[in-house]
Amino acid sequence: MKNNIPPFLLNTPSSLPSKRGGGKINTSYIDKGIESFAGILKEGYTQWELASKTGFFYELDTRIKVVFWLFFIIVISFKKEILPELGIFFTIFALSLLSRVNLINFYRKIFLLGFIFGFLISLPSSLNVITHGKVLFPIITLSKPYDFWGYHIPEVIGFTGEGFSVVALLTLRVLNSLSISFLILYTTPFPEIIKALKILKVPDTFLVIISLAYKYIFIFARIVADMHLAKKSRLAGAVNRSDARNWVAGRIAFIFRKTQLKCDDVFKAMIGRGFSGEIKLYQYRKIKGRDWIVGSFLFIIGSLFLWA
Amino acid sequence: MEIIKVEGVHYNYYNRFPALIDLSLEINRGEKFAVIGSNGSGKSTLLQILNGLLFPSQGRVFFHTYELSERSLKEKDFVRFFREKVGFVFQDSDIQLFCPTVIDELLFGPLQLGLEKNEALERAVEIMQMLKIENLKDRPSYMLSGGEKRRVAIGSILTMNPEVLLLDEPTSGLDPKTQVFLLELILALNEAGKTIVIATHDLSLVDELQSKVAVLSEEHRIEKIGSAEEILRDEDLLLKVNLIHEHVHYHGQTAHTHIHSHYLFHRH
Repeated sequence: MKNNIPPFLLNTPSSLPSKRGGGKINTSYIDKGIESFAGILKEGYTQWELASKTGFFYELDTRIKVVFWLFFIIVISFKKEILPELGIFFTIFALSLLSRVNLINFYRKIFLLGFIFGFLISLPSSLNVITHGKVLFPIITLSKPYDFWGYHIPEVIGFTGEGFSVVALLTLRVLNSLSISFLILYTTPFPEIIKALKILKVPDTFLVIISLAYKYIFIFARIVADMHLAKKSRLAGAVNRSDARNWVAGRIAFIFRKTQLKCDDVFKAMIGRGFSGEIKLYQYRKIKGRDWIVGSFLFIIGSLFLWA
Repeated sequence: MEIIKVEGVHYNYYNRFPALIDLSLEINRGEKFAVIGSNGSGKSTLLQILNGLLFPSQGRVFFHTYELSERSLKEKDFVRFFREKVGFVFQDSDIQLFCPTVIDELLFGPLQLGLEKNEALERAVEIMQMLKIENLKDRPSYMLSGGEKRRVAIGSILTMNPEVLLLDEPTSGLDPKTQVFLLELILALNEAGKTIVIATHDLSLVDELQSKVAVLSEEHRIEKIGSAEEILRDEDLLLKVNLIHEHVHYHGQTAHTHIHSHYLFHRH
């Protein structure tokens, strides 16, 4: 072996960098994307750790929580007024407070998603082109109104008071749905949610798909993060965009192959351990008196909102 | 003369789980250095920190006299210098091989360093001859066996002619013949002047390499640094860090129990 070492490997170039600086390497959007993908792992661990704490909602039986979640999602979807939606918002806020959830972290995500999927998406509906009413904030004034294909474009286009009410209602609905879902996720370990759904007669196929998908996200987030590091360790500078895209395309193909192999292996392992298409759980603990009391209390609150 | 210096390094995964606690060590130029410890003790994390892929939450790491930091590794000149000098072979060769074919894999590093295509190709050919992988030249990495992948992964780093080689569990999962091949390669590279840093829990490898050894505990701290002989003789230390254990085995029909490593003391 000693004699086979190529001469260039025996040649050690200068140990000192000829110069320092040379400008900064900018982080590409692909690097940023991969880094945030790797953040999924952190989120997963955080969720698991947070959900295993103690606190008001943490200690509640998962079945009660899941029923409460489904019931409140229905209530939130049924209400057509802003006031009850605000009431639900503050009720969930109070529950989060009682559960000692990290409120800053909790509401930061909710408001960001609520802003994008609630406010921004519904904002165009507050224009008088869609929701008729008195224009409060005009934005464009046309020379004359237009009518075509059954649509009426008024002379002054702007935001209406009625439109704002619709946007506020939709945004609140999204915020409330997110808050209640995040509250459950923050206070319940993921396997417990699956068990509760099983007890509530959600089909096994659906649960197997959710569980495996959840597991795969972590496996592949780890693979992607590791691949990113492996590439970084061999990069001596910035990569141009087309090379970066080629790398990503190649890696997607690799992940696809790896996914297929992993799927086959996991399924074989499941079959090997006697899986026949039905999820079987060991006996679930009994619902305690405290859980019934809290569950009833939450049910009454939900009913009041539904009735209000 | 020290080439790598680690001063009081702490690292936590997800800001929660400690992987390294108050770790300090020095690695000299041309040295063989092994980091040993049980699974999850932080060996791979340490190697990734030495390669500037992760950055410590506390403490500092130096390569020669230059501090490795997120800031310094964003400087174009320094990145080029550092990546040329320090090569990292990952434990999982699958994640390291990302080019379409073996030859592309071997050319990736030298072309990154700005070498002429001819020179890069010359290096790749020489490395393929040394590693006996010429026949795999045009094969995609997913059509290689585990041992072939490991050879290609090492080759892809060697074409960059690094001064320091970081090897994460280089012999794990390989057949005995490939293990011996890699061991001889590592020794030959060290004799050629390369600094070798290995993370492993394979005590027989440490014995064969006769390297300097840092022992990591399950509490993610350095328990001891010493010569291979000194560390491998310290049975209490190896028991404490879970690198050896009590085991039962048979001589013919007779079963007996040992409190030591199969490889080092028993040699069968």
